[in-house]
Amino acid sequence: MKNSALLLPKRFILSVFLIAIFVWSLFSVCWNSGLFHAGGFVTLLQIVKGAIEPDFTPDILANGLKAAWITLAYAVAGMSLAILYAFIVGILASGTLTSTKAAHLTSKIFFRGILGFTRSIHELIWAWLFVAAVGLSPYAAILALAIPYGGILGRIFADMLNDVPEEPILALKAAGASKLQVLVYGHLPLVRADMISYTMYRFECSIRSSAIMSFVGLGGLGYEIQLSLADLKYSQVWTYVYFLIALVLLIDGWSNIVRRGLVEEKRVNGLSIGWLSSFLTVLLIILSWVYVTAGIHFLDLFSDKNIQYGQRFFGGMFGAGNPHPAYLDKDNWASALKLTLETLKMSIMAIGFATMAAFITVLPAARNIANGQLTLKKRWYNWILFGFIRILYIFSRSVPELVWAMMIIFLFKPGLLPGAIALALHNFGILGKLWAEVIEDMDSRPIRNLSSAGASRWQSFYYGILPNVLPRFLTYILYRWEVIMRTTIVVGFVGAGGLGIQFKLSMSYFQYTNITLLLICYMVLVVIADFASESTRKAVK
Amino acid sequence: MSSTKVIEGKQITKHFGRKIALSSLSFIINHGEIVALIGPSGAGKTTLLNTIAGLVPLESGELLIDQKPLPSYRGKQLAKKVGVIRQQFDLIGPLAVIHNVLAGRLADWGLFKSLISLLVPQEKGLAMEALNRVGLAEKAYDITANLSGGEQQRAAMARLLIQNPEIILADEPVASLDPARAEDVMAMLVNLVSEKRQTLIASLHSVEYARKYFTRIIGIKNGAIFFDLPTKEVTDDLLAELYLLKEKA
Repeated sequence: MKNSALLLPKRFILSVFLIAIFVWSLFSVCWNSGLFHAGGFVTLLQIVKGAIEPDFTPDILANGLKAAWITLAYAVAGMSLAILYAFIVGILASGTLTSTKAAHLTSKIFFRGILGFTRSIHELIWAWLFVAAVGLSPYAAILALAIPYGGILGRIFADMLNDVPEEPILALKAAGASKLQVLVYGHLPLVRADMISYTMYRFECSIRSSAIMSFVGLGGLGYEIQLSLADLKYSQVWTYVYFLIALVLLIDGWSNIVRRGLVEEKRVNGLSIGWLSSFLTVLLIILSWVYVTAGIHFLDLFSDKNIQYGQRFFGGMFGAGNPHPAYLDKDNWASALKLTLETLKMSIMAIGFATMAAFITVLPAARNIANGQLTLKKRWYNWILFGFIRILYIFSRSVPELVWAMMIIFLFKPGLLPGAIALALHNFGILGKLWAEVIEDMDSRPIRNLSSAGASRWQSFYYGILPNVLPRFLTYILYRWEVIMRTTIVVGFVGAGGLGIQFKLSMSYFQYTNITLLLICYMVLVVIADFASESTRKAVK
Repeated sequence: MSSTKVIEGKQITKHFGRKIALSSLSFIINHGEIVALIGPSGAGKTTLLNTIAGLVPLESGELLIDQKPLPSYRGKQLAKKVGVIRQQFDLIGPLAVIHNVLAGRLADWGLFKSLISLLVPQEKGLAMEALNRVGLAEKAYDITANLSGGEQQRAAMARLLIQNPEIILADEPVASLDPARAEDVMAMLVNLVSEKRQTLIASLHSVEYARKYFTRIIGIKNGAIFFDLPTKEVTDDLLAELYLLKEKA
């Protein structure tokens, strides 16, 4: 703590800087009544009414059940491939198997590069590219899900393998174990629990991704939501949304049970949670693959026709046969860069809104504040408020950005604002949940001391809680901002502005080289976001 | 006692950056000797043990194990000669005790057998015998991380029993245990080593244990050997001087 005197102003300056960026992003919106559709308010009422009175007729329920299964099956199939890819490439990227320094570095850079590239592009874009290249095939969706998810999982696996304690590994080496034996007896058992809980978390995310995957024309909950929205049947829309929420909660519950089982691991005779979960996992994977691939052969994907289409598409992206590829054209670059800047602003607005919403709601949402343990103040409404906000969070995070965006554009005219609001709606629930957990995990003694000294709830928040949790709050904000950046292009698809709209148009008009250009801009944004958040995180530490 | 040389160090030197960790150490250790390394923190005890174990590369000088230079040994051959035991961080926490013990056989096992063993423990009799010796047989299938510090250290000893090296290097083997457990583990270690006619070199914080259990004591200070004497000849004055702070000297 030798520079604690310097630390506070540094954080203060950083906060002011971040707020200033957010305010700057707000100026890109023309704040007037032109933002809304004429009938927007009426539509909003109808949507809210649908949420209160969803359509629970047997037909719709049966349909919803089937759609939920399809969504689950694609998520499971995609995740199983992703785990395979992440496991192999993650181990190679960690460099645990290399012996010389040079080989260590090359394998690290090479395989981490592969993981970085595959995760920088959003799953929906992979899906779109595959569908455009080889047509509608379940494999397109599965691969589209597996590639970015494998990229993220693989990177985390590699980091975990690099972070294992050194002593037991050295001891194994001293006992004469080979590289592979050290991996199997040392690294893998040491990271197993963390690996499983992170994979379960990503599995929950993959449910949402699988749902929106259906927007490129594969069945599932997202597809049903899209159809019902097109028919303006809001009560049906909500039925399917509730199915999606239920599915996400189910997976969330399962992953909580698994995580608890990992923590309290003891040798239990008979069926333990671990064995039951493993059995369920294997069953799910088999059922999903059988269902998804029924009647379709993997090799059909490589039929002559498909290969031709694929060549034309990807060749087109590289500018084959095009004398004036868009990525060599100055005007195209200028307009693409303008859209890139807009997308950047949209992401900043989105994280700003999400932060504000989470900030207002997070205090009552923490369990240790609700039960009065932290502040020593009990109020009858604490638990009601806690439950209400937690349900709000669940709603917010269970519904994918894209679905929020599809509803929002009924109210707003296309532009940056609806996109930002949709992104914020999804992310504030995640942010709030993560923050609440930070507050629940903090050391409660200093706060109780403040409270017993007579500090009010808000005083103890500013003096006790905020200084403690701010660095971790900021870490989560930055982390979610990275994710938002990756997703901005997706909300653009439904007309919410930025690079996404242009991407969609270029796809529809077969402007292949323009797609390449937009993808380049998009990846530049993702890299900038990663870099900016990484360096800010380091600055806070 | 036979007097064949098992370890011979000739002017071993090692730097960490600018700091001298070992400065031109020379010593001979004979078969079956039980040697304690003592000295202030940072004197180079751990570095010396890691050097002999082949975990830290030699900078200059020569180290002979069984008359052959250390670098001529491959990893698996060296594991037959030299085994290491440390403070309790040697084991893989999430694995069952029996797998941690059987890790002592990895030098002899191929990858396939090691993989199978994680599902169905191989050479189980050997492992159980070793666990019996250290009094942990009933905990064979417990998760290692759930064991107490003393039990973990006994499990590490069971691994060494199975690995069965000719030389055992112990780096502060009882540093993080309470006095009763420390006494228990120390006695067991020395007992097992002399029974198997192995050679033991242990670094210790406690002069008391060094005097009680070891036949020869090497005092190390600032990376150099300060004294190297049979236990009987180590006087209190020598010890006081060994641990004397620089400022006062």
